Amino acid sequence: MPSTRINNQIRRLRFDHGEMTQEELAQRAGCTRQTIIALEQSKYVPSIELAFKIAKAFGVALEEVFQYEE
Amino acid sequence: MSFKTFTVIKMFVVIIMAGLVGWAVVSGNALIPIPVAIAALVILLLFRRGVKEVVVDERIYSIGEKASLIAFRVFGIAAAVIGATLVALGQKTLPEMAPIGFTLTYSVCGLMVIYYIAYIYYNKRYSGKK
Repeated sequence: MPSTRINNQIRRLRFDHGEMTQEELAQRAGCTRQTIIALEQSKYVPSIELAFKIAKAFGVALEEVFQYEE
Repeated sequence: MSFKTFTVIKMFVVIIMAGLVGWAVVSGNALIPIPVAIAALVILLLFRRGVKEVVVDERIYSIGEKASLIAFRVFGIAAAVIGATLVALGQKTLPEMAPIGFTLTYSVCGLMVIYYIAYIYYNKRYSGKK
């Protein structure tokens, strides 16, 4: 079975958006700061709903935040 | 209200509840703990509503689900093995162990019944209709 991985650009996007803090992003996406930390370290894969919320918080498309690698 | 303030309030409520329940046990009054526990629950729920920041999200639920499943498996296997051993011991050498063994094994049976009822419920809930 091939290993799959979902990468994200959250850290880069935060800095591109005026050095948005993890706390601020968490508030906008409706999750905890610990979840943002886990996402940035690729230790947690979010649900589709949370992924959309994060993309919306940055005002970008979902694919700009999350990438699927096979 | 911040989550920190809520945590402090929660701590005080739990201390007061524990004190009252402890006093009730010492004084031999079995009716006091029930209203105390309900009152504490209501107070905590009311304060919990005042917390504006997100304290529980899908990751926390996901961790809880994984931990619950591991706890279920570990308890299920351990209680079944220990229970069966105690029942066997109760029949041969230590008869006083048999009730403990039966309690453990029946607990595992009850737990499995609850698990399968919950499984059927969620399987129906998250299945598409044909």
